[in-house]
Amino acid sequence: MALTAIDIYKLLPKTNCRECGQSTCLAFAMQIAAGKASIDLCPPASDEAREKLSAAAAPPLPKVTIGTGEREVVLGDETVLFRHEKTFYHPTAIAVSIRDDASDEEFASRLAAIRRLSFERVGQRISVDLVALRCASGNADRYARAAVAALAATGLPLVLLAPAGPLAAAVEAAAPSRPLLAPPPEDLAPAAKLAAERKLPLQVRARGIEGLTVALAAARAAGALSLVADPSPETPREAVSFATNLRRLAILSRNRDLAYPSAFDLGGGFPDPFLAAALLVAKYGSLLVLDSADPADLLPLLTLRQNLFTDPQRPIQVEPGVYPIGAPSESSPVLITTNFSLTYFTVRGDVEAAKVPAHLLIADVDGMSVLTAWAAGKFTGESISKMLAGCGIGEKVTHRTLILPGMVARLSGRIEELSGWRVLVGPQESSALPSYLRRLPPAAFLPVHG
Amino acid sequence: MSVALPIPGFPGRIFAVTLPAGPGGTPVTVGGQNALPLLPEGEHPNAPAVGMEVRTGPLELPPALAGTIGPFAGNPAAMARKCAGDWGARFLFLSLAGCHPDAGGQSVSFGAAVVREVLSATPAPVIVGGCGDEEVDALLFPAVAEAALRPVFLSYAEEKNYRLVAGAALAYGHGVVSWSPIDINMAKQMNLLLADLGFPPDRVLIDPLTGGLGYGMEYTFSIIERIRLAGLSGDAALARPVLCHLGDAWKAREATDASEGTWGDVDARGRRWEETTGLACLAAGADLLVCRHPSNVARLSGAAWR
Repeated sequence: MALTAIDIYKLLPKTNCRECGQSTCLAFAMQIAAGKASIDLCPPASDEAREKLSAAAAPPLPKVTIGTGEREVVLGDETVLFRHEKTFYHPTAIAVSIRDDASDEEFASRLAAIRRLSFERVGQRISVDLVALRCASGNADRYARAAVAALAATGLPLVLLAPAGPLAAAVEAAAPSRPLLAPPPEDLAPAAKLAAERKLPLQVRARGIEGLTVALAAARAAGALSLVADPSPETPREAVSFATNLRRLAILSRNRDLAYPSAFDLGGGFPDPFLAAALLVAKYGSLLVLDSADPADLLPLLTLRQNLFTDPQRPIQVEPGVYPIGAPSESSPVLITTNFSLTYFTVRGDVEAAKVPAHLLIADVDGMSVLTAWAAGKFTGESISKMLAGCGIGEKVTHRTLILPGMVARLSGRIEELSGWRVLVGPQESSALPSYLRRLPPAAFLPVHG
Repeated sequence: MSVALPIPGFPGRIFAVTLPAGPGGTPVTVGGQNALPLLPEGEHPNAPAVGMEVRTGPLELPPALAGTIGPFAGNPAAMARKCAGDWGARFLFLSLAGCHPDAGGQSVSFGAAVVREVLSATPAPVIVGGCGDEEVDALLFPAVAEAALRPVFLSYAEEKNYRLVAGAALAYGHGVVSWSPIDINMAKQMNLLLADLGFPPDRVLIDPLTGGLGYGMEYTFSIIERIRLAGLSGDAALARPVLCHLGDAWKAREATDASEGTWGDVDARGRRWEETTGLACLAAGADLLVCRHPSNVARLSGAAWR
C-alpha cells in the first residue's frame, strides 16, 4: 500500500529547513504523497528515508517488455485491482502458437494465418501480439531456423517454448528481437543463466503460487531480473484463482518476491482454452498462449481486451464527420450526435434498424455523450451550426432539415437562427429512432429553393 | 514455504433470491455469497444460473441463431419447452416484445395468454419482460401479474413505472427485476424505492443494462463490479443478484455479418460473441445470464462456478 503523508513525514528530518521549496516538512510530505515531489529534493534526508520512499514509489507490479520497436509488448506495470479505480494500462498480451515440426508449407501457412489475426475496430487496430514457437522437434538447428522464419514472416516478438538446448540455439539466432524465454520447469537453471547473460525476459513455470515462490527465487539468484510468472494451472478455474492472487500479492501485499506479470499456456490440451482466455483477459492474465488461430475465436477475445483496457476516464472516440448509413440520397434525413464511440454505435445501430438510409453527422465533442457534451458547452447551437456549414453536408442533401437529439431540444432555436437549417426534435432515447424515422413524412426533406 | 494470500473479507452478503418453479420443475436460487465471483474463497452457496430468452413478435434471426432456434422461435410455448427441456436453460425470460406498437402491437390480453401458455408448457422458473412501450406496459404488467397462476418475476421496474410494476407483483406474490441504465446510483435508488414500498428484498434482482461485446460491454463490466463490491461491503440496497441479458451481443455486426471473409465462420463467431459477453459478465459478478444461442447454455454454465 502507498505511504500516507504522515508515514512520509515521520521519515523526514522535521527541521522545516525549506531547502525543498516547501515551507514545512509536513507540506513536503503531502507533496510526495500526492506524487508531486520526490525525496531527491530533500538534501538532508537519511539514507533510510531515501530507500523506503523510492521503494514505495516503484510500481507494485514491475514492467516486463518483450520484443523491440513498434511491436514491443509491455506486460505488468498495473496499479489497481479494478478498472473503475483508475484504469488498466497494459492489455493482456495474446500469443498464438506454432510448432517447429510442421512441414515448410504448413509452417508458412500457419504464420500467414497468425499475421491475418489483426482487425480494425472503432478506429483502432487490434491484433495478436506474439508468436509462441513450440519446440516439438527437439532439434536445436531446426528450432533456431523456425524462430528466424517466424520473425521474418510476421515481425511479431517470439515466445520461445523450448528446452534448454533448442532455446540456446534460438537465442543465438534471434536475441536482438528480445524474445521471451519459456523453458520447461526442469530447464529453469540453464535458461535463467541464458536470460541473465543476454538480458532477456524469462517465463518462470512452476506449479501454483508456492511453487513459483521457489522457482522465481532461483531465477533471481541466477541473475535473471525480467521475469514473468506462469503458475501452470490445470483448469480454467485454477487459472483465474492463481492470476487473481498473484495480482493481489503484488498490489495489496506489495510482495516483491511474487510481484510479476502472469503468463498462461492455454495450449497443448488445456481444458476449455477459450473460456479460460476470456476470463483471464477480464481477470489479471498478463500473457496468454493460445493454440487457436481461428479468427472466430480471436476477434471476440481481442474485442473483449479492447473494451476492458479502455481508460474509463478517456472513452474511445470516433472520427467526427459525415457518416452515410445505408445508401442515403440527397433527400435522406440528416441526424446529428456526438463522437463518443458508444453514442455513435448506438445511434448508428438504431438508424440501421429503421432501414431508413440517412446521413449521420458526428460532432467533435472530445468523446462525450450528448448530455455530457451539452453540459460541458461542447455541443451547442454555435458548434452545431459551424459543423453544418463546414462539414460538406450542404452538398450532399438538397433539403435543410436537421434531426436533433431530443435531450438537447433546447438548442433548436439557436441552430435555426445561426445556420438557417430547420430543426426537427428527435426522440430522447436513441432506441426510439426506428419508429421515429419510419413515421417521418418524406415531405420533411424536400429540397429548399432560392 | 507458505505464502499468506491477501484474500479480502467482506462484511456484507448478497441476498439469496429464488425464482420459483411450477410443479415438477426445479427452482433457481442465486445469490447468498459473501465473496467475489469465480474464486475459491468465502461462501458461494449458489452457482450463477444460465437461462434463455423466449420472445413474442417479429424476429429477425442472425445466421448463428436461425438454424438452431429458428424452427421454434415463432411459437413461445414450443420454444419454452425446447429451451428448458432440450437445451438445459435453468429459467426462461419471456419477452412480450410483440405487444409493442412497432412490433405488431399484440393486445395486452394476447400477451397475458402467452404467459399462461408458457407457464403451462414448462415448469421452469420464468421472468416476464414487458414490451418497452410505457403506455402498453402500464396495462400489460397488471394483466400478466394476474394471468400468471404461479409466481414469476416481472421485468422491469424502473424509475417511471416502479410503483405500478411492484404493486402488481406484490398483489400476486411475484418478484421484480429492478432496472437502471448502467448507473450505480440509480440502481441503488431503485432498490431503496422498492424497499419503501415494502417490497421484500429477497424477491428483487438487479438488471444493470448489459452492453454487448464491443458495444459498451466495459461499462456494464465496471458497473457490475461496483454494484457487487458495494453490496459485499455492506450496502444492503445493492446486495442483490445481478441479471444480464446477452441479447445485445447479437446486435453487433461482428456477431452477424457473413460477408467479412477474414473474421471466420459467422456461426462460430456469433456464438463466441454471445459467449464472450456472458463470460465477462460472470467475471464481473453476474448471477443470472439470459442467452439466445442454445449451445451457450452449456458453454456459460462451464464457468458458472460456486
